[in-house]
Amino acid sequence: MKNIVIGRYIPGNTFLYKMDPRTKIIALIILMVSVFIIRSFTFMLGSLGIIIIVLLIGKISVKRVYLGLRPLMFLLIFTFVFQILFNTQGELLIERTLYYTLYTIPITILIITFWIFTKRYIRFKLLYFLLVLTSIVYVLTTLDLGYTIGQGELSIYSQGVEMAFFIMIRLIIIVTLSTILTLTTKPTDLNLGLESVLKPLKIFRVNTEEIAMILAISLRYIPTLLDEANKIMLAQASRGVDFSEGKLKDKVMQIVSLLVPMFIISFKRSDDLANAMEARSFVPGRPRTRLQVLKWTRLDTITLGITFIALITSISLRIFL
Amino acid sequence: MNSIEIKDVSFQYQSNTPVLQDINLTIKKGEWVTILGHNGSGKSTLSKLIIGLLKAKTGQILVNGIELNPETVQDIRQKVGIVFQNPDNQFVGVTVRDDIAFGLENLQVPREDMVERIEKYAKKVNMSDFLNKEPHALSGGQKQRVAIAGILAMNTDIIIFDEATSMLDPKGRNMVLDTMKQLRSEGKTIITITHTMKEALLSDRIVVLKQGRILKVGNSKDILKDKETLEKSNLEMLLPLRILYDLEQTNYSNERIKNLLWELSLSV
Ligand SMILES: Nc1ncnc2c1ncn2[C@@H]1O[C@H](COP(=O)(O)OP(=O)(O)OP(=O)(O)O)[C@@H](O)[C@H]1O
Ligand SMILES: [Mg+2]
Repeated sequence: MKNIVIGRYIPGNTFLYKMDPRTKIIALIILMVSVFIIRSFTFMLGSLGIIIIVLLIGKISVKRVYLGLRPLMFLLIFTFVFQILFNTQGELLIERTLYYTLYTIPITILIITFWIFTKRYIRFKLLYFLLVLTSIVYVLTTLDLGYTIGQGELSIYSQGVEMAFFIMIRLIIIVTLSTILTLTTKPTDLNLGLESVLKPLKIFRVNTEEIAMILAISLRYIPTLLDEANKIMLAQASRGVDFSEGKLKDKVMQIVSLLVPMFIISFKRSDDLANAMEARSFVPGRPRTRLQVLKWTRLDTITLGITFIALITSISLRIFL
Repeated sequence: MNSIEIKDVSFQYQSNTPVLQDINLTIKKGEWVTILGHNGSGKSTLSKLIIGLLKAKTGQILVNGIELNPETVQDIRQKVGIVFQNPDNQFVGVTVRDDIAFGLENLQVPREDMVERIEKYAKKVNMSDFLNKEPHALSGGQKQRVAIAGILAMNTDIIIFDEATSMLDPKGRNMVLDTMKQLRSEGKTIITITHTMKEALLSDRIVVLKQGRILKVGNSKDILKDKETLEKSNLEMLLPLRILYDLEQTNYSNERIKNLLWELSLSV
């Protein structure tokens, strides 16, 4: 349960830590935009290279970034496979016939069942999944024994492969960038940074302080709520609810038995919290002094300069190439 | 001067069962009052009424002579601090430092002043080494200490402690009790809600609530020896006090033993 809290702040002392949170947030936005502007595969790869260098200089462990990517694995694999199978632009690279026969269909089903039951014991789930996928493709393309029920086409195009990698790298870059932000910025600073970055929205009468406060409190209560969920799961388990196994119907029951108490507790909590805040003279929208102050240094100016150059470069590459 | 005047106050939540009925209570400036009562007797509700988190159905509440109403509620909240019962649900900041600062930021205390006060009160509750810690890394008692520091730092005239020491170890509790004594000597008005007789004994006056009504108000020492009242409100008399009480019934006259028993009940 605990590992849901991805990218928690880890104390450190590199340049990424010395940067003003405002810089990091603005840089993150600019770099994300740049990454979406880039259309060429080579430049996307180049961007990934630059990010890896930043990670190395910033002494951020790749494992942490990987942990941040893990919840998105499904999305990554899905888009990857989707692009490879269904993108029909560019040159035709591979064309194979898929034989659905009395032998291959049961074998395929067998492999999938085997995968479903064994995947939880395997550490490298992604590799395992790819292995299973290739073996299914192998079986379907090479074994044409027995009575053929039907035939299918597996055709892979160059654009499909390129786009598959392109989109994957882009996702990896985006997640890495945001992980860098949350790993190197204290929650307090993150709030302050967000608050002051959002400030221009005040023109549109958006109450930015309130938004920042809401974000701060959500951040603050995520671990507490996770603890709560853990406790409830233990309590329900002691009443005989099994959270690890079960059919869809059981799963629904398990989730209900977790969510209902979670909701009730959360309402009570937010009520208490609102009381505590009001009791300490919090009035939404009233000016407050701040304990933490942000300091802008040369490093910040330089960083923002570099990110702007990155943005302009990607725009001009898009236009002129 | 009176810190708090509660006149004919009644209250109920949405349901129709009255939670507080005909409460009349005056607390003088500099007084230390304990509210005793069984679970659900309305103690926490009463404290929420005093700072206008809940609105009384009937009656009137005055704080420092100012009547509580929607116009004055913000001013009154700046005069009254409450340490709530559940330390988890009143931790607003991302870290201990931020949390102690929260009230000060709302009161628009200047930054330098804030830093100073945070250091001072964190030290007072023995949490100086935890200033950068996040709440989920703290124990219940430690969170309670932070809550106390956060309220003390606001330096309000009136402080309400709603079972604020329930999770503290004996040493921590004594520390808070010493702080309360010091607050009294500074002329602050203190209201403690507690189930601990020792805390009750330190205060000047005890208000006993039973099912939303005031059962009895009186001098702490008298109430704590009042067997009938204590029994009616599900409270237990301290053992040394019980002995003392029984001795007094039998015309026992050894003052030294009596004093020792008294001392003993203070140190439970
Ligand atoms: N938000 C609420 N909505 C409805 N009823 C409530 C609410 N809060 C408390 N009550 C009810 O009001 C009564 C008094 O509650 P209160 O919290 O004031 O008791 P208490 O004396 O503080 O008890 P404890 O010693 O357990 O803290 C209880 O019967 C309780 O069920
Ligand atoms: Mg209570």
